[in-house]
Amino acid sequence: MLCESCGKNPVVTHVKRIINGKLTEYLLCAECAQRLGYGNLLTELGGNYGSLLGEFFGEFERTDLVRCECCGASFNDIVRSGKVGCAECYRTFYDRLIPLIQRVHGNTKHRGKMPGGSMIKTPPQEQLSLMRRELREAIRTENFEQAANLRDRIKELEGGERRG
Amino acid sequence: MDNLRENEYDRDVVISTCIHLTRNLNGIPFPARMSRGDRLTVVQRAKEAVEENKALAHILRYIDMEGLSKTEAVSLVERHLVSADFISDCSGRGVFITDDESLSIMVNEEDHIHIQAYLWGLNLENAYQKADILDDLFNRSLHFAFHKDLGYLTQNPILLGTGMRASLILHLPALHESGGITRLSSNLSKLGLSLSGVYGAGEAPKGAVYQLSNQVTFGLSEQEAIANLKSIAMQLVHQERGLWEELVEQPELQDAVSRSLALLQSAKMMGYEEFLQLASNVRFGISTGLIEGVNSDQLNRLMIAMQPATLTLRSGRKLTQNERRILRADQIREMLKK
Ligand SMILES: [Zn+2]
Ligand SMILES: [Zn+2]
Repeated sequence: MLCESCGKNPVVTHVKRIINGKLTEYLLCAECAQRLGYGNLLTELGGNYGSLLGEFFGEFERTDLVRCECCGASFNDIVRSGKVGCAECYRTFYDRLIPLIQRVHGNTKHRGKMPGGSMIKTPPQEQLSLMRRELREAIRTENFEQAANLRDRIKELEGGERRG
Repeated sequence: MDNLRENEYDRDVVISTCIHLTRNLNGIPFPARMSRGDRLTVVQRAKEAVEENKALAHILRYIDMEGLSKTEAVSLVERHLVSADFISDCSGRGVFITDDESLSIMVNEEDHIHIQAYLWGLNLENAYQKADILDDLFNRSLHFAFHKDLGYLTQNPILLGTGMRASLILHLPALHESGGITRLSSNLSKLGLSLSGVYGAGEAPKGAVYQLSNQVTFGLSEQEAIANLKSIAMQLVHQERGLWEELVEQPELQDAVSRSLALLQSAKMMGYEEFLQLASNVRFGISTGLIEGVNSDQLNRLMIAMQPATLTLRSGRKLTQNERRILRADQIREMLKK
């Protein structure tokens, strides 16, 4: 299939938009996706996972015996679709995915939030007000253990905030 | 939607802010490999997460996408609550929204959970804070998939790391007219940002409305990504405003601005794309002081409400295209009346 914008190159991205009340799909090549602002780190590298990995391995691996126990995906399935099958796949195929991930993202590690992490840091007012609401609810439903818990945490957070 | 604002100065260029967080559950295939049963399981677990947490249950309302008419589904996209991709296949999908429509959580989009916080104006920190809180509250029950080196695990490895996209909706009439957007857009992509048209994906999006988003999610924190986006946005604001000084002196432009307002205030039938173009001129007039007595909040509200599906939905009946144009013109006149 050829790009709708230039009519020359093969399609790598489908951009869906609502235009004038209608669901509209634009099929774009890497170059046009880039030019029109629909590019991503991958189109920046000129294509899709298949061609990227081709550079690493020459061709698809013929032996494709390992399958993810959770979702049943093989490594070839991931490469072909450009989509990882499930969270477990990242562990199952870790060594084979890493070169690809580094190619796209550079040789680096996650530096952002950890799950639940921001709860520990400075409490935003909003979080406090959510917790106060939870507390009122816990008292109303006579869930006193939870209420006591919440009261302690609110106190802790308020204390932290005043000091900060 | 919330009316909090950081800075009046930026508001004439930055229309709105949106933060997206993508999250997944462990032990269930990602959406591309999900069975219908898997989809329903994730929906069920998300619903339970909301029910278990009174703070969430209090503010969120669930909408089953399968139960919606086409008009209702399209209107959700027009109101920025879900993506266009999301409504292209509604099976096993649902969305939680707040009454003020500033927060939404798509279930089973590209990833299991997609949190969005949408605020008017340049409001990155506030929008992030809202999304961040929702993330924490959902995480208590759902325990999102995470790897210490890779960050949040996503279906598409491009989003690994923070799984966060931050975007700003910008009004860039002068850069748009100067034809400089394409060059800007390709320069920005080298910096890991994207700039694309909001109304139309082609060469000339309507209304000079663009979306600026970060592309890089890995190897930097949410705060750093937001700071980068903000500093680039400020440069764009600066460039855009730099072009205004000269433009605002041109009689042709002053004329176009005045005529556009007059049309909006008097037309009896109005198409949405025509409205976008006129609104763009009027917004420029407001920003540069050529127009008084009309404000950009009114235009923002109209930009959402005048879209075809949303207009139809709120009228409570089926409308032909002509009826829609008439109703749209009526409501615009009412909103902008002298
Ligand atoms: Zn092309
Ligand atoms: Zn898997």
